[in-house]
Amino acid sequence: MIPAIGLLVGLMVGLLLDPSVPVWLQPYLPIAVIAALDAVFGAVRAVLDGIFNDKVFVVSFLSNVLVAAFIVFLGDQLGVGAQLSTGVVVVLGVRIFSNVASIRRHLFRA
Amino acid sequence: MTTPVNPTGSSNPERRPDASMTLLTSMLERPLDPGYQEAADRRTAAGLPAATSTRTVIVVVLAILTGFLFATAAQALRPKPTAAAAAKAELVRRIESLQAEGTAQEAKIAALGRQVQDYEALALRQSGGADLSDTLKKLEVRAGAVPVTGPGLTLTVDDAPGDPNADAGSRPTTGFDSGQVSAADLQIVVNGLWGAGAEAISINGHRLTSTAAIRFAGQAIIVDFRPLARPYVITTIGDPDRMQKLFEPSFAGVYLSQLNQQFGIRSSLAASDHLTVPGDSAVRLEVARPLGSDVGSPTSRPSTSDRSTPTPSPAPADLSTDLPRGSVNSP
Repeated sequence: MIPAIGLLVGLMVGLLLDPSVPVWLQPYLPIAVIAALDAVFGAVRAVLDGIFNDKVFVVSFLSNVLVAAFIVFLGDQLGVGAQLSTGVVVVLGVRIFSNVASIRRHLFRA
Repeated sequence: MTTPVNPTGSSNPERRPDASMTLLTSMLERPLDPGYQEAADRRTAAGLPAATSTRTVIVVVLAILTGFLFATAAQALRPKPTAAAAAKAELVRRIESLQAEGTAQEAKIAALGRQVQDYEALALRQSGGADLSDTLKKLEVRAGAVPVTGPGLTLTVDDAPGDPNADAGSRPTTGFDSGQVSAADLQIVVNGLWGAGAEAISINGHRLTSTAAIRFAGQAIIVDFRPLARPYVITTIGDPDRMQKLFEPSFAGVYLSQLNQQFGIRSSLAASDHLTVPGDSAVRLEVARPLGSDVGSPTSRPSTSDRSTPTPSPAPADLSTDLPRGSVNSP
């Protein structure tokens, strides 16, 4: 419950402050958001499975975001940024969907 | 690799039917970080509960950070209204207001034209030339000054499917798309319809008079200096059956079907019993000729009305010609 409130607080702060993102950082934002979503859903599933661990969550969150950003950066340098981004989105999207399906089974038994 | 995939999805104990898709399988079946399970196992082995609390400081901090990231990304990546879009909206607004103004002015012209017609009829009656009004009516129809109603054909011509204007924000290309209806196509079709016996023709509500031109300006088709938007609806007044019989085997009809076959330009021909071709509101008097001697005319007023027909005067001598081409009396 408290992390959910924290998420809402973060959303509010972001919406109210409306910080300007430097242009060089903007290509990484979408991938970072997908990676963060993946980590968050993984954590929710772990909580429901009864095996949540805060250190694993933090490490997986940060490494997800950093690796995703690095892949986009590398792809941009190699000229295949769009394709690599698509690959990251596909893999993380599949993971998000499976995690959400597992969460759904936990919550609704269906 | 060639093992057929079992459609029922039941797993084979010896060899999984989807053995060639281990990457996909592992991705789909174990999406959760194995780290969670390992950490839980370690904690259980150490005698601690498998899960840690979700209320530790670092989790809350990370939750706040995640929300901040989502909000920031959503706001930073939402497409902002650019200066070009604002200018475009302004232009659209101006065009629409000017078009509305033009429509209002045209309605005014039509009303004034009717008034002038009434005055003309009155003047003709007073001068006693009854047969002149018939001639006048005939000439007005030919000059395109008045609306014409009657049976006729409606020919709709449209660009090939595959909208070239799908992305309205992109810059217009200068190249000509072969799937687009060109002014020359419309010229050929309209000439074919005249040849098939059309009495009056309008394109998208613009009457084709003897002075109206169908031209290309950039990528737009201009009829009588007014741009048209696709589809192009050509309304013709005339005997529908006869026109259809004459038009389809004519050069224009064959040309139209060739356009359809080669470039996908769509066209449809429909007959109707009741069609209206509007009058040309921009008809002006350009040429006028006095009709013989002015025998006690009460109507010898200056001819400044919006009409292409000669100023009526009592002697019905030369009104039978199609268009007056005598002495110039430009307004």
